[in-house]
Amino acid sequence: MAVAAAIACRLLRLRAAGAGGHWRRLRGAGLPRGFLQPASAGEDAAQWRRVAHFTFQPDPEPLEYGQTQKMNLFQAVTSALDNSLAKDPTAVIFGEDVAFGGVFRCTVGLRDKYGKDRVFNTPLCEQGIVGFGIGIAVTGATAIAEIQFADYIFPAFDQIVNEAAKYRYRSGDLFNCGSLTIRAPWGCVGHGAVYHSQSPEAFFAHCPGIKVVVPRSPFQAKGLLLSCIEDKNPCIFFEPKILYRAAVEQVPVEPYNIPLSQAEVIQEGSDVTLVAWGTQVHVIREVASMAQEKLGVSCEVIDLRTIIPWDVDTVCKEECFLNLEAPISRVCGYDTPFPHVFEPFYIPDKWKCYDALRKMINY
Amino acid sequence: MKGQPPLSPRRGRILEGLLANMAVVTAAARVLGSSRGLGQDGLLLLRRLGVRGLAISHPQRQQQRFSSLDDKPQFPGASAEFIDKLEFIQPNVISGIPIYRVMDRQGQIINPSEDPNLPQEKVLKFYKSMTLLNTMDRILYESQRQGRISFYMTNYGEEGTHVGSAAALDNTDLVFGQYREAGVLMYRDYPLELFMAQCYGNVSDLGKGRQMPVHYGCKERHFVTISSPLATQIPQAVGAAYAAKRANANRVVICYFGEGAASEGDAHAGFNFAATLECPIIFFCRNNGYAISTPTSEQYRGDGIAARGPGYGIMSIRVDGNDVFAVYNATKEARRRAVAENQPFLIEAMTYRIGHHSTSDDSSAYRSVDEVNYWDKQDHPISRLRHYLQSRGWWDDEQEKDWRKQSRKKVMEAFEQAERKPKPNFSLLFSDVYQEMPAQLRKQQESLARHLQTYGEHYPLDHFEK
Repeated sequence: MAVAAAIACRLLRLRAAGAGGHWRRLRGAGLPRGFLQPASAGEDAAQWRRVAHFTFQPDPEPLEYGQTQKMNLFQAVTSALDNSLAKDPTAVIFGEDVAFGGVFRCTVGLRDKYGKDRVFNTPLCEQGIVGFGIGIAVTGATAIAEIQFADYIFPAFDQIVNEAAKYRYRSGDLFNCGSLTIRAPWGCVGHGAVYHSQSPEAFFAHCPGIKVVVPRSPFQAKGLLLSCIEDKNPCIFFEPKILYRAAVEQVPVEPYNIPLSQAEVIQEGSDVTLVAWGTQVHVIREVASMAQEKLGVSCEVIDLRTIIPWDVDTVCKEECFLNLEAPISRVCGYDTPFPHVFEPFYIPDKWKCYDALRKMINY
Repeated sequence: MKGQPPLSPRRGRILEGLLANMAVVTAAARVLGSSRGLGQDGLLLLRRLGVRGLAISHPQRQQQRFSSLDDKPQFPGASAEFIDKLEFIQPNVISGIPIYRVMDRQGQIINPSEDPNLPQEKVLKFYKSMTLLNTMDRILYESQRQGRISFYMTNYGEEGTHVGSAAALDNTDLVFGQYREAGVLMYRDYPLELFMAQCYGNVSDLGKGRQMPVHYGCKERHFVTISSPLATQIPQAVGAAYAAKRANANRVVICYFGEGAASEGDAHAGFNFAATLECPIIFFCRNNGYAISTPTSEQYRGDGIAARGPGYGIMSIRVDGNDVFAVYNATKEARRRAVAENQPFLIEAMTYRIGHHSTSDDSSAYRSVDEVNYWDKQDHPISRLRHYLQSRGWWDDEQEKDWRKQSRKKVMEAFEQAERKPKPNFSLLFSDVYQEMPAQLRKQQESLARHLQTYGEHYPLDHFEK
């Protein structure tokens, strides 16, 4: 069994390395010759599945928060959780598989550090996880609930929308669950298909009483997650899973906050405004460069960050409707469930965004 | 050990048996020489002694443990023995879990050792809470029929479940209810003024007029505000109990729900979480026979709710919900153990919903008047307690007459006052959505204010505080 595991590990590493010539390495790994014939179309056929549709652009190292460390996105999440549990003795983390470190390694080391009463597994039941989290928060303790994939948040929809969001309002502020934060891996990942790729923030975008936040990078993730945890309202924090390992940058070791409900203008421009959140921010950054280079068009790039309550003022003024020179263009996935092999055609990649921009300029 | 369930008798016997066998083997090894294992002779000797399968049969396998353990199930998922007979377990609904009671239907104590022997003052408080609730119910139900409040739900027949359980708790124990537990608040001395204020949604309503009547809440009395969706409170109560355990608060959380709500997924979630996470919580199920028009025969097919508890690993009991002492005793003991042992308890209180589901319901459409009358006349928590009080010499007809007059007067006064008060200012439509008011919402609030300046005549502004 150990041998098989070792081979499996080597296979995974090879796959992750993504380089060519891996068939040669497989033979070297001790598998019999001819066990796996190379794909008929050569390396290219396997390659297209591994190329991401974006390039992560790290932000410059933040200098105002003290010492920084190279972290990827899941490590930044771990750091935020570590800071929270250190500061707040009532804080607990729970959900499926969080005890051993989580399926995306976001909670690695925390149970050993803070104890099994503070970092613990729950039974496999999302409505229970969120309901339980609400109850902890009602007593004033800090509850950080993990939903294993955003695709599985729906059993908890009633608890989120009918209970968490309305707790303070319906009780006349006698009770609230403001110290609840729900975290979930979010968005397309290249191979996630129908049930491991969803971006369900729209379902919550019209639910007054909750806040929904999506970070674009490790630095943003830690600061925004800390703000969500400390915010006095129930928050949902969606973590772009494709960035968990792919996004690496310098992140402060100490806690810091990035404000909620504030969009960030990443790049100023004068001709077209591009708005996105999460992974897509990196797509539109690239589209902005393409637009500048090929069309001489100056783009303003905005990361919305908080979906609800959203920063209307940064994105547009109420009067802007009369100042628009072209209709607003939304570039999204198609009105289908998220497909598996068709993902490259489905996602709003830079070519589709660029094309929409080009049409807008020529309107 | 705290938090560990006690060894079941069966498990204990198996363990005992194992230990006994081990002792025999050790003795045999000493007699026969232990250096090379027991060999065939030793095996035969042990078999004659009735010690089966524990002997080491070959010297080479001496390192192996008792060989018959190899034949015991090793599955992580269940602690059980093998069986070689194909047999389905039959659910037992003909003779279900028995119903614990202290008083008979005439209010006489059946087994004196179960009498909680509560002082007169306390028992009188039980009686007055139940009857005051009943009086308030009659008046508020009537007020809805007259169009004075929009909606109401009565508690007829279930007063015993509320008061018996509330009396067994500490005042600081947190209560999560469903909607038919007003007697718990009544027992905790929630003033009539505030009950009425919530039903009218007037300026005195702690809930600021946001919810339908009977959606009470009181932070001071540790009664979490009621919400309409059913069973959502169950996993929440479990979370609150977990936090209480972590805080070493010596508090229990009690969670009320009906037998209908127990069908919801949230109920299953709550039970399972409470057991696995070892929470000090009392699940209190009011099994009153109906979920609106749905009788229990269409709600479940097993032996009610109590029978589900053991499936989750939860200590469970079924009680006569119309016997306030039985409810009291069970809740008291459950509370003591839940806090001491950090484990959940499930109490299924059998009772009957004498009233309609709500003012939007006419239950004659689905049940006979005779059935309702039986419970009203022959097995009512209030009359049973009154018989008990009278037999103790603590109550008589004269006091009954006086109290009825007095309680009715109190309720009417509170009622008339509540009706006269205005509703809160319309700006309270906008607050408490978040802890802080977001800019967009403030804009909407200002927009409504401007709108009312022009169109105010079309709105009931006279009934709202300026």
